[in-house]
Amino acid sequence: MKRFLLFMGMSIALILAACNESSGDADSADGNWKPTRNIEIVAPSGAGGGWDTTARMAAKVLEEEGLIDKGIGVVNKTGGGGAVGWAYIATKKGSPYNLFVTSTPMIDVPLNGQSEYDYTDFTPIANVIADYGAFAVKADSKWQTLNDLFDDMKKDPTSVTVIGSSSPGSMDHLKFAKFAKEAGVDITKIKYVSEQDGGELTALLNGSVDVFSTDVSEVVEQVRAGNIRVLAVTSEERLEGETISDFPTGVEQGINTTYINWRGFFGPKDLPEEALKYYEQKFKEMTETDAWKKIRANYGWGDFFMGHEEYKEFLKEQVESSKALLDELGIVR
Amino acid sequence: MGVMDGILEGAKVAFSFQGILFVLMGVFLGTIIGMLPGLGPITAIGVMIPISYGMDPNMALVMMAGIYYGAIFGGSTSSILLNAPGVAGTVATAFDGYPMAQQGKAGKALAIAAVSSFVGGTVGVIFLMLFAPLLASVAISFGPPEYFALMLLALTAIASLSEGSTIKALISGTLGFMVAMIGIDGQTGTSRFTFGSASLLSGIDFLVIALGIFALAEVFKLIITRNESDSGPNKNIGSIRITKSEMKEMSGPMSRQSVLGFLIGVLPGAGATIASFIAYITEKKIAKNPEEFGKGSIKGLTAPETANNAATSGAFVPLLSLGIPGSGTTAVLLGALMVMGIQPGPMLFTEKPDLFWGVIISMYIGNIFLLILNLPLIPYISKLLNIPRPMLISLVTIFCLIGVYGISFNTFDLYLLLAFGIIGYLLRLVSFPAAPFILAFILGEMIEQSVRKSLTISNGSFMIFLERPITLAFLIITVLSLALPPLLGMRKKIKSIE
Repeated sequence: MKRFLLFMGMSIALILAACNESSGDADSADGNWKPTRNIEIVAPSGAGGGWDTTARMAAKVLEEEGLIDKGIGVVNKTGGGGAVGWAYIATKKGSPYNLFVTSTPMIDVPLNGQSEYDYTDFTPIANVIADYGAFAVKADSKWQTLNDLFDDMKKDPTSVTVIGSSSPGSMDHLKFAKFAKEAGVDITKIKYVSEQDGGELTALLNGSVDVFSTDVSEVVEQVRAGNIRVLAVTSEERLEGETISDFPTGVEQGINTTYINWRGFFGPKDLPEEALKYYEQKFKEMTETDAWKKIRANYGWGDFFMGHEEYKEFLKEQVESSKALLDELGIVR
Repeated sequence: MGVMDGILEGAKVAFSFQGILFVLMGVFLGTIIGMLPGLGPITAIGVMIPISYGMDPNMALVMMAGIYYGAIFGGSTSSILLNAPGVAGTVATAFDGYPMAQQGKAGKALAIAAVSSFVGGTVGVIFLMLFAPLLASVAISFGPPEYFALMLLALTAIASLSEGSTIKALISGTLGFMVAMIGIDGQTGTSRFTFGSASLLSGIDFLVIALGIFALAEVFKLIITRNESDSGPNKNIGSIRITKSEMKEMSGPMSRQSVLGFLIGVLPGAGATIASFIAYITEKKIAKNPEEFGKGSIKGLTAPETANNAATSGAFVPLLSLGIPGSGTTAVLLGALMVMGIQPGPMLFTEKPDLFWGVIISMYIGNIFLLILNLPLIPYISKLLNIPRPMLISLVTIFCLIGVYGISFNTFDLYLLLAFGIIGYLLRLVSFPAAPFILAFILGEMIEQSVRKSLTISNGSFMIFLERPITLAFLIITVLSLALPPLLGMRKKIKSIE
């Protein structure tokens, strides 16, 4: 019902905006574009997931800190690992009122052939945060370092089972493959099990699988309780924070690679230049507020701001690197 | 700090004015959410995360937990009155609950559901309190092969859900299995049976199937048979009083299934749905009059309602003692804790005893509130059946449409809903039972994925299913439960021939 009212309201606003087009143009001529109606941020997943939380928290900070004085509504478009939401945004070409939140699957899902839209069909506005990956084993495992594990895998890649929550060819699989490849393991033979019902940690703790490829935030408490050991995190340098700073990086163990799970906001294709500038600026201001910093700290999200131009370059590199890995794994379609 | 001090700290939280207020708010919201299909507890808690930011974490968790178990408690209502299960955990409730309502005993069915839910929930909380830290090791004892064996056992319910023809039940189950395969395959990332449609990539949602096959199919039947006087929902609500002999009949399933339901709930990923199905089949297996099941049996209603609520309490064991989410809802609860600056994990028990025990103790209060809230409401809620038939039909249809649209905001799902409504009606027309279809649909993907995960782990060797004791035990029970009844039947026949 609420959505219906919102929809009605937006339709009326749209009609009014169309009638009043001349004044809108005057605004953009000054380069001072401002939203004149409510903004929709699509989270292409269900409520409560990473995308959804980021979108809701950003909307909250943007509104409550007075950065944007129009209402911001978060809408969930669930399905296809993001593909359903992207297909929806693709119909909003040029609209400065339809943004969405996205992250690494924006690269992997199209490469896996599961979405006809890739990042070039949208306008990257700003990246805001990043998480890093971690590779964990049971506390009583024989592997003390990442190299111990990879040495065994070089001898027999099929002797080790890796578990993660994303599907094969996506994040948890790719980051492990990236590190294993750097170490010289035959990555086409890695046994990867995808567990999408939340049983990854269970499977690791009861010994069904050997290695858990996940996010740093998932492992901290289990390490503190002495249940598991982190062999490596995927950041360039050690991360800050109690317990977290004890986790070695791959780089310091001689495996010279990194993996970053970025998360940011995009708009539809042909987002007007002025609107792009406006949102880029607002997201930048948002990441500088104390409210946002506190939310980041609670969730363990790292600060990783990139503006439009830098973001575009970064995405291009990400596609190259993922594509190379997927090619080797034989997954690119 | 000892456990006793922790419990006292928790009691302080739960019995504070705020604590009682928030648990009341939580269970009230939960009941309403449970009654309306579509807006499930996951969405409700997800949407509340930004609101709870800045709230006292104890209170926020007390309230969110209330929404969770309140939704399972309230979920039985639409199953019983409209044959429209809103969450997977209440599908089995419709098997005997809806026939009871049709016999003019809607009031009694709702009362039985409320009392069984209360008993299941409360026994579950007592177990949670006594054994949560101890059961942590049980919670992680299940790997993919164990899950496969457990689900296979649950799947044998197909045999007991057949009304007459076992072949028809098996065909119906196979169809459900096939529908479950639609979408991206978790182990290879390949899309199956999606025909290039992005809307099918994540598979078909449970609600689309449940509301289509059960509720819409019923609506179609009502429309087509509108001129026959004896069809459709009985307007008679009947007394809500449960007699002594009925109470006696309920006590068996309640005492058994609150324990069994709790234990299944402890396993991450199994949860209320599997608990309710296993409860239903075990009660049917040991009942003196199994032929009453599916026709409005009191035991058949009591068993799944007790089990699904006990399982909900059980799901808090891995959540609170290990920081492992056992279901979608508890995963979102974990996310909610994080935004409040609390790291859920195995250390919660020692570092935040007020939170750990506060939630558990608030669940006692919550269950009592749920009973007090639900019982007096029954006469009013069941008045729904007094609505004139044409209006009721339109209402149920709109209710289904909104519920399904609310999960994805995708109109494609509405067409799917309609299609499954028609399929459901056709299945009835040729007397194929719908229950095996939905059971196989719910279990299908989990069974398939757990087999394949197991085989990946074992490098393709099927021995993995025989080498692990828990798996082997479940497989033996499964075989026995399928083979014993026909064997016993044969022996009887042979004896009678002699």
